[in-house]
Amino acid sequence: MRNTLPLTISLLAISLFAATDRQWMLQSSTISYSASHPLHHFDGVSRAARGKGECHTGECQFLIAAPVKSFNSGDSNRDLHMLQVTRGGQFPMVMVRTQLPESEIKPGTIHADLQVQFAGQTAEFKQISFHVMEHGGDIELTGTIPATLTDFKIPPPTLLTIPIKNEIPVHVDMTWRAAK
Amino acid sequence: MYLPRVKFVSTIAVLALFLAVPHAVRAQATGATLSGTVTGPSGQVVPKAKISIKNAATGQSTEVQSDAAGVYKASDLAPGDYEVSVAADSFTTATQSVTLPAGGTQTLNVALSSGLSLGSLGFPQSETQGSAQEQARLNRRTHMLKVHQTLGLITAAPMLATVLTGSFAGGRATSSTNRDLHVGLGSLTAGMYFTTAYFAIAAPKIKGTRTRGPIRLHKALAWIHGPGMVLTPILGAMAYSQKSKGERVHGIASAHGPVAVVTAAAYGLALLSVSIKF
Repeated sequence: MRNTLPLTISLLAISLFAATDRQWMLQSSTISYSASHPLHHFDGVSRAARGKGECHTGECQFLIAAPVKSFNSGDSNRDLHMLQVTRGGQFPMVMVRTQLPESEIKPGTIHADLQVQFAGQTAEFKQISFHVMEHGGDIELTGTIPATLTDFKIPPPTLLTIPIKNEIPVHVDMTWRAAK
Repeated sequence: MYLPRVKFVSTIAVLALFLAVPHAVRAQATGATLSGTVTGPSGQVVPKAKISIKNAATGQSTEVQSDAAGVYKASDLAPGDYEVSVAADSFTTATQSVTLPAGGTQTLNVALSSGLSLGSLGFPQSETQGSAQEQARLNRRTHMLKVHQTLGLITAAPMLATVLTGSFAGGRATSSTNRDLHVGLGSLTAGMYFTTAYFAIAAPKIKGTRTRGPIRLHKALAWIHGPGMVLTPILGAMAYSQKSKGERVHGIASAHGPVAVVTAAAYGLALLSVSIKF
């Protein structure tokens, strides 16, 4: 009996450890970039993002991706121009990867390091704040990524030879659901 | 009997040494080394990662594997541009470009991301894989539409001048000089207009794109000023002929002025529809 105790404890520990492994699936999202030009301001919105999170031993890896083509600013001519300058033909997806301790995924504010792949470039954004809320078991994250055109070596698009501003903050609103 | 044989072997050995030494010296002088450490998303080392180093110019690949400490090293590589691809189980394959200088040592540390991939998100491959050809189509489209925009703006000047000179060329005016100036400006406008139109019509179309926003009005107005630009010179030629014979402009030719004004107005609106944010 005494000999089997360590084995029992080990098995219990392993099963508890395994029980912590879980997945997160992105249920819905609104991702929008804001761009400014001296003549006007516009937002490009995508609701076509898909995302998944995998947690192992208390650490969660997340991947969120959206087709660059899916961003709609209400003007197809401008969207196609944006697709061209962001090299969307060659790099059709925008991808965000992040890693979070599982214990931090709870209502409040979290700070995440993001790795964003876009326009054939990878940019790192450190300690980006996200507001986390819980709605009936789902987790809603909202935040803003302070992206710029130069982060991704994108030449600024012009209207009447005037370029848009370098800052293109990306507003994120995502709802995640945990799945075993 | 032995002596010539020894001499022969010695000669071969010396020759081999003579040929081998410059090669070794040359390899030492020009062969580059690429090394680095492969890590995972948490910074942990990744052993047994497969590193494929492909020469961009020759397409020749060198394969090495990371050791228990995640370290890899490839020696005697020809200087030039390489595409380095790093693959390991449970991680997403990473590809990076590197330029190796002659005789130099380059360090390329590769951080692999987790096994989550676009495929695992359920995106179809057709949506996630880009191509240089598609990008070239987009570039060509933008270039042609920029030319269309610039020529369109320039064309507005002779078009306005044609409309203004029309009031001196028609009606009771009898001056042939004014008529000729009007015809000259009209011809210039027509030439520039159809060149402008060509750049919009021939610009590559991008599949799966629905027309949204002010460009819809811009395109709709083309159905007014396009036929107008065909009709106006025809009616103008008829009016010119009648006027040159000393006749009053009559019949269908008398529609030349109103058609021209409507065409110019539609053209002006088309310009404004894409220049001003409504």
